[in-house]
Amino acid sequence: MPRTTPTFSRREVLRAGGLGAATLALGISAPETAGAASPSDGSFGLGVASGSPRPDSMVLWTRLTRDPLAPDGHGGMPLRSYGVHWEVATDPELEHVVRRGHALAQPELAHSVHPKVTGLRPGTEYFYRFRSGTTSSTVGRFRTLPAAPAVPDTFTVGVVSCQAWYHGHFTAHRHLAAEPELDLVVFGGDYVYEYGITAANLWRQGVSVAPEHAAEVQTLEQYRLRYALTKSDPHLQSLHARVPAVAIWDDHEVQNNYVGGRSAYGLPDEIFAHRVAVAYRAFYEHLPVDLEALPDGPGSDITTGFDVGHLARFSLLDTRQHRDPVPETAEEQADPARTMLGRAQERWVEERLVDSPAAWNVVASGVVLMPVTEDRTDQWDGYPAARARLLDAMARSSGVVVLSGDIHHAVAGELRADVDDPGAGNVGVELICTSVASDGDGAPTDDYAPDWLQHDYVRLYDGRRGYLTVTLTPQEMTSTFVSVPWVEADDTAPREVLARFVTPAGTSRLVEA
Amino acid sequence: MPVPSSQRPRQVTGLRAEPAIARTELSWRSLGFDPLIDHYRVHAVRGARRPFEPDGANLVGKTVYPQLTHHVDPRGETWTYRIVPVSDAGRTARASDALVASSVASVVGTGLPVATIGDFDARTLEHRFAPAGYAQIPAAYPDAVVELEQGVDSPADAWPYLLPGPGDAWAGRKAYTARWRLALPGAPAADHDLAIWLVDTTRLGGTLRVAVNGAALADVALPPGGTRGSREGDATVPGTALVRSYHELPVPVGLLREGENTIELVLADGGWVAWDAVGLFARR
Repeated sequence: MPRTTPTFSRREVLRAGGLGAATLALGISAPETAGAASPSDGSFGLGVASGSPRPDSMVLWTRLTRDPLAPDGHGGMPLRSYGVHWEVATDPELEHVVRRGHALAQPELAHSVHPKVTGLRPGTEYFYRFRSGTTSSTVGRFRTLPAAPAVPDTFTVGVVSCQAWYHGHFTAHRHLAAEPELDLVVFGGDYVYEYGITAANLWRQGVSVAPEHAAEVQTLEQYRLRYALTKSDPHLQSLHARVPAVAIWDDHEVQNNYVGGRSAYGLPDEIFAHRVAVAYRAFYEHLPVDLEALPDGPGSDITTGFDVGHLARFSLLDTRQHRDPVPETAEEQADPARTMLGRAQERWVEERLVDSPAAWNVVASGVVLMPVTEDRTDQWDGYPAARARLLDAMARSSGVVVLSGDIHHAVAGELRADVDDPGAGNVGVELICTSVASDGDGAPTDDYAPDWLQHDYVRLYDGRRGYLTVTLTPQEMTSTFVSVPWVEADDTAPREVLARFVTPAGTSRLVEA
Repeated sequence: MPVPSSQRPRQVTGLRAEPAIARTELSWRSLGFDPLIDHYRVHAVRGARRPFEPDGANLVGKTVYPQLTHHVDPRGETWTYRIVPVSDAGRTARASDALVASSVASVVGTGLPVATIGDFDARTLEHRFAPAGYAQIPAAYPDAVVELEQGVDSPADAWPYLLPGPGDAWAGRKAYTARWRLALPGAPAADHDLAIWLVDTTRLGGTLRVAVNGAALADVALPPGGTRGSREGDATVPGTALVRSYHELPVPVGLLREGENTIELVLADGGWVAWDAVGLFARR
């Protein structure tokens, strides 16, 4: 049976800042003799995950813990390395194993492992699990992507964002994990929040947290602890086990409203960089991301893309790390030189859009693209020239779908080629998923509604919690906005369909279904 | 096969201290990102005691940054400090060399309080609309003047936790005035001190113009703050993003008089300030 062997480009090895290349390699794959595992080595209390889907490979993830919420961020694990076995099979009982391997769970990476399973068949369902000593993880499932030029009949994506654990139960994840058709979940940003958890903001009823959670998250041990708290949720674990995940970040993975390498709260950039570095590291440690996302100090590359055969092309953007500062004047805001993505990423997504062979071109953005009001400078509204360039690239593409989040509201809208020209044609649609829990129960409408509903291209506005599913076929896209009536009291709220839109292929319209 | 691990962090060097009112500003050379530093532990003991061994009992703070503000007794204190870095793998280095540093005594600790608005406790909570009701301030003070009469009004009724400034669009971009009227039983015989402690300011910083009985006392330059003081009222929470600042001004004896005195604080430019407390102190 083939074993996966890690290979690293010189760039990847050089980028492994803070981690020796061997350390890094062993976190992905290792000889079976490396590390010593005993029956009591650790358990899988934070679940399993798969991600970075490709036609022939998948990244698996888990993190060994004994006490996931140990205050030092090491999950109760002794500060030594442990061996972790993994296996991938074609059946849920794992009787027909097609790949297996071994990785080292090391304290440098909070005992997380990211084995990359290669040599898989495209468009094929697999099952996987980890084992440490005599302890086995839950069984996870994934389906590899179809290989080009295949066009699958259908591909369904779940979209979630803004998981403020303390604001409510992850009922949305419970329902999303139970959706009958689901191939992938996109985490659209704010996977964790950095705020201290106190009586003032602990709206998730029936739980309590230890005093160490009250402090604002700043150190690596605190970020690790916050991820552990978030990932201790059983519904989030179920979702990760059900389908592969891809993730982009917004601001709260580091600090509210940070911009590029700059804090919104007055710290000098060279000082703030220390916090960025540990926050980016913790992101890598807790998500099933590829080696490219391993940070080099205060820099990381999470921009990624993949194709679902010739049905869809996904481009996942980093709209936080490379952006210009918040504008101080209207003139600065309108400056054509301002960038949201940075030049390299901007060129990258433009090429992917324009040269795409896919029927649908899905772009994930951490912040809202559509124009709302000029004072929303944290969104693309603060970068109008950069938005115009992106819209121009979208106009030269087809079947453009923007997925975003951040605002804790469900919004659907059509994207005009020229935001200042009401007669301009559409270049795509934007589907903004609401929060999983952030801001608690929410309400159908609120004081912000007029800002959005003043625009005739906005088709939906709702302020309750939930998620979004997007089903792509060669003929049409169906976007379904799901809400849950409450999240603060418990996790029993029912699934309610808020709105459903159909977008026929070759159009950029949202037709209510 | 030997199990590799990231290297042990280096010892912290370059530890230095900046004395300040009621605190000591510590900083040291960053150890960079290889290995990644989880955080620095700051250990300290009272007095000039070098060396001492760092342990859990003398841990006064953890920080991811190569700097820490150590808030101490406002009467002024001397402490001895050592820094221990902790790597991503939980490995530590030998503690830094010890450094002895003293804070600057505050009039809040050394003076006799004549009159105060609020408690000098790093919290805004006793003030009107605290900790997050700033949006009510413009309607409550349409002429942009806040007034408190000592002995008659309370901070909870008459002294909003924020004083807005021209940089605050939400408050009409006005230079708000905070007017404090206090009666003295007799003419002071010596200089006094005015203590203005702030829990936070905005990134704009600003200028707080201070006058006593109509005479200009000082233009206080306000440092950029954390901007979170409009929503959070307790700067003692570990890891808080609030940036406290302390301003203490001598008040010449000739500016004060028997009977009613008026101290005016005008936020002439910049963004809001979040009050911790304001106090007039006689010298011992």
